[in-house]
This record gives sequence, C-alpha cells and structure tokens, in this order.
Amino acid sequence: MEKEIWITRIFNDYLSGPGNALLGLVGMHGQARPWANYITMELLVAAIIVVLFAVLRSRLSVEAPGKLQHCCELVYGFVRTTAGDQIGHDGPKHVAFCGTLFVFILFMNLIGTIPCFESPTMTASVPAGCAVATFLYYNLVGVLALGPLKYAAHFAGPMWWLAPLMIPIEIVSHLARLLSLTIRLWANMFAGEKVTSVFMSLVSLVVPVAFMGLHLFVSLLQAYVFMILTMVYVGGAVAHEH
Amino acid sequence: MTKRVFFALALMLIASSVLCAQTTSGGGASSDSRWALYIGSGFAMAIASGLCGLAQGKAVAACAEAMARNPGAGERIQNALILGLVLIESMALYTLAIVFLKVK
Repeated sequence: MEKEIWITRIFNDYLSGPGNALLGLVGMHGQARPWANYITMELLVAAIIVVLFAVLRSRLSVEAPGKLQHCCELVYGFVRTTAGDQIGHDGPKHVAFCGTLFVFILFMNLIGTIPCFESPTMTASVPAGCAVATFLYYNLVGVLALGPLKYAAHFAGPMWWLAPLMIPIEIVSHLARLLSLTIRLWANMFAGEKVTSVFMSLVSLVVPVAFMGLHLFVSLLQAYVFMILTMVYVGGAVAHEH
Repeated sequence: MTKRVFFALALMLIASSVLCAQTTSGGGASSDSRWALYIGSGFAMAIASGLCGLAQGKAVAACAEAMARNPGAGERIQNALILGLVLIESMALYTLAIVFLKVK
C-alpha cells in the first residue's frame, strides 16, 4: 500500500535532504526516504492549480473571454451563488476559502484517476487537514463576526436553563463535524479506489470502467459536499440571533 | 476582515503542525483467533449498506414526488436530494472506515 509512485521516487532520490529539513522543522526525526506519496501529490496538485490560474490571469479579457475564462467564470459563479444561498448576505466574503477548498479537493480527487498518479485524499491525513482547516476557519469567522462571548453563547442553545445539557452536546457535535468531514471524504476516495482495483483483479476488461466512472462522479460530488458543508457551518457560525 | 482571518488561520495552522507531530502503530494476529472480527465486520457492513439503501430510497421517492408536484422548484429539490444522498451515503461509509481500520 505504501508503494512509491514515480514522483515520490524522484523526490526521495534527489530532495531527501530538504525533505528531512522540513520534517525537522516540525520536530520529527529524519528518515531514509522522507517524502510520502500524498505529500508529493499534494504539491503537484497545488503546482497544477497555481499554473492553471496563472495562465488564466494572463488571458483575462472583458471584451473577448476565452474558453478557460468561461469555465472559470462558471465555477466562480457556482461557488458564489451557493455561498449566497447558504451563508446569506455575507456569502461572497467566504468565496475565497470555500472556492479554494472546492478546487483543491476536486483536483486532488480527480488526479487519482490518471494511471500513474495517486489521489492524496486516499490517505487519511489529507482530508483530516482540510477538515481541520475548515473547523478553524468557521470558528474563527464566528468569533470575528459575533465576538467571542456571543459566539460562545451560541453553544448554550435557545434557552439559558438548557445550557448544562446543550453545551456538552454542542461541543461533541462540533467535534463530530471534524470527524465526519474527514471520514466522508477519505472513505469515499479510498473505497472507490479499492473497489476499482478489486474489480480490475477479477475481470480486467470492461467492468472496472463502470466503477471508475462511479469514482469520478463521487469525486466531484464529495468535493461539492465538502464545500457546501463548510458553507453551512460558516452560515451557522455567523447567524445572528433573531 | 478577510486578511485578519487568514493571518490568524495561518498562525494556528503553523502552531498545530508543531504540536501534532506524532506517530501511530498497530498490531496483527493470526487469522484463526480473529474469525469473529471478520464475520462481525461482514455483518456490520451488510446491515449498514442495507439501511443506507432503504434511507436513500426514501429520499429519492420524496424527491421524485416533490418534483412531480412542483416542477418549477425542480432545481432546488434536486440540490437538496444530492446533498441528502451524500450525507446518507457517508453513514454507510463510516462503517466501511471502521472495517478497514480494524481488519488487518
């Protein structure tokens, strides 16, 4: 399962020094082959996205938009409309984070279908990282929008005498959001890959295509659901008391 | 406000990467003594998938009826359907995650 793909082999052969330096920065011991598959794939996906947006930026035009601009405007409009629906009036402020999350997770999910690459989201650490980022983001947004005291008062529920019951329940449910975001994305990607490889070992010819197609559809859907749940949580965090 | 949000977020992420450097390990046993685990995980997955199928069937039935009653609201109903189906699906996937974590 930890078989190195060709990118990771290149990284490990030539860049193991910087890899160990990075590990040392966060206090972990150096290893013989420090780069893991998911780290290099994440870096590759980030590089692809940066290059894509750099190319888009150089071709932006109001009078004669090209195909790339049309596609990216569609995606941007979609994210912005969904943010407006879920978060309400302040929706467009959160398009940056939610849109980035959507594009990043989408590309990470989809790159696994290309033969010599592996989805970074198949490793549990990567969805966990995205979920932690979302968790920190929506709590931070809530605290900045409402102030720390009023945001903490959220947890107490609608009536003050329900607070001793509501606060533990709310805390557990917020932690469960972290867990559910992680596991939903990870299990979908992992199961999709496993099912495809199982069927490839059973009937090598046509049948795995159906499962790869399902995996593509699920990849899109999971990126969308991650984004929309982020927006729902942000909307819940900034909701004013009425 | 967005710049402050991102700055605070970046600070917290850097701090958490220093605090969270840990490793985990797991063990295994011979297949003979873990037969109950394998049978139990098979049943758990079957029950989870069955109930997930029932719940998704209910969701799709409600969606189809709502779209038939109110074709104009079809887009919004479809969005709610997709979101609902994915959340129900993730329930069965939690069981799969536990199976993968506990079995070998």
